[in-house]
Amino acid sequence: MTETWNITLRVSRQKQNEAPHFDSFQMEVNPDEYVLDAVERAWAFHDRTICFRHACHHSTCGACGMRVNGLEKLTCITLIRDVARDGATLKVEPLRNFPIVSDLTVDMGAFYRKMERVEARAVLPVTEAEIENPPAQWDAEDSQYIRLSDCIECGLCISACPVMATTPEYLGPAPLAAAQDNGIKRKPELLSVVDCEDGVWRCHSAFECTAVCPSFVDPARRIMDLRKQVVGARLRNLFGKA
Amino acid sequence: MDSTRNQPSARRFWSWFIPLRRDIGSWAFALNRATAIGLTIYLFLHLIILGKLAQGPGAYDQFLALTENPLIKFGEWLVVAAAILHGLNGIRVVLTSFGVGVTRQKQLFFGFMAIAVVVILIFTARMY
Amino acid sequence: MSKPTPSFPASGPRPGENTWTWLLKIVTGPLLLLILILHFTVNHYLGSMSSGLMTYDDVIKYFQNPVIVAIEILFLVTVVTHSLLGFHGILLDMHPPRALLVISTWLHVVIGISAVVYGIWLALTIASLGS
Repeated sequence: MTETWNITLRVSRQKQNEAPHFDSFQMEVNPDEYVLDAVERAWAFHDRTICFRHACHHSTCGACGMRVNGLEKLTCITLIRDVARDGATLKVEPLRNFPIVSDLTVDMGAFYRKMERVEARAVLPVTEAEIENPPAQWDAEDSQYIRLSDCIECGLCISACPVMATTPEYLGPAPLAAAQDNGIKRKPELLSVVDCEDGVWRCHSAFECTAVCPSFVDPARRIMDLRKQVVGARLRNLFGKA
Repeated sequence: MDSTRNQPSARRFWSWFIPLRRDIGSWAFALNRATAIGLTIYLFLHLIILGKLAQGPGAYDQFLALTENPLIKFGEWLVVAAAILHGLNGIRVVLTSFGVGVTRQKQLFFGFMAIAVVVILIFTARMY
Repeated sequence: MSKPTPSFPASGPRPGENTWTWLLKIVTGPLLLLILILHFTVNHYLGSMSSGLMTYDDVIKYFQNPVIVAIEILFLVTVVTHSLLGFHGILLDMHPPRALLVISTWLHVVIGISAVVYGIWLALTIASLGS
């Protein structure tokens, strides 16, 4: 017999000519369903004007990022059981630090442009990817095999970062992680992009990006490594010219 | 529609200091930032007060008498506690910035804060 | 519909902080922590007041040693540098308009240099009071 919970789904609403507010929906849910399923059911059976973004439903596309009870989650893989209990209220809001298009949908344009700015790789040779248990030595022909980048550009890290809250110009965790993935040695033109006021030095080690990343990118670790790459490059430039 | 709502804004600086429901790293960031601001204000006050030393023994020792005031003593305790917390949290930032303990940064923070609590307790016992 | 925020200002990335200012901040931090331990222990526990604080006479006597004067000046320089770089960083986190940033940067530099000059004058004055 499937378990059934009664929850109140509170959805953040904001349309162009309305004041922002929350709408509440009383729902019967299976706690082993996902938060995205609850939002979709609210849209299907309660209010067809709810605007939210979703696509793959299996954590590959990064479209369904939202704040669930105040914390950034990829709603297609967030079990209702993990964020609510029977009789509780489940609050769903759009990601922070992005302009709101409508309700739960945000404008990701500026973020995607930053990813382009650092020439983020969507696919990369498996020999350059950070995978678990790589062979001690790759064969020459292994570089023909490609792998999707871990980063699904969901924007959860941008929403969670305390520095992103106060400056829209900061590159942010995902673009900096993508820059690290490219590497300053491989792409020296990225040095001036990340070694600046709105680049790698804006990070203050809150590690919130790594805490919310649903895709094992570990942006904070990559930003720390990028700092090492930048310092190394600047010292090499200094002593190389001296 | 307010076009700035939900967008990054300098006016949201208060959110740095209220990391409710956030991970421990945000609390570390909030603590570091709050103690930094407090210590910077104290630093310049301290430099100004030390100017009394150039005015002769009367001026300085008169100020020293103030340090017995319980409110001033509490202020001094706050400054020392802030310095210990900021200093040790700063060591965590230095270490992780150079790749040391990056994957164990939570444990690093808790460890350093445990040391900070012990040192603050020892200092408090000696002070009172 | 709200206007999307740009990914970069039209003039390109801003140079308000770079590798060298960050390295200076990260190096002065632990250095000042070490000197602070010494400074605090001496000033709060080795003085002749019942609380351990140093009286005027204690301070004058302490500053007769040129090594102490040098350490206190080094402490002053590192702590002023670290605190003002940090404070400036907090301002950068709010991405001020370029004009405000230029004014603020100069203000930080002036305050920093003034504090160091004042502190060096004070240290040398105190040292001379004992002779």
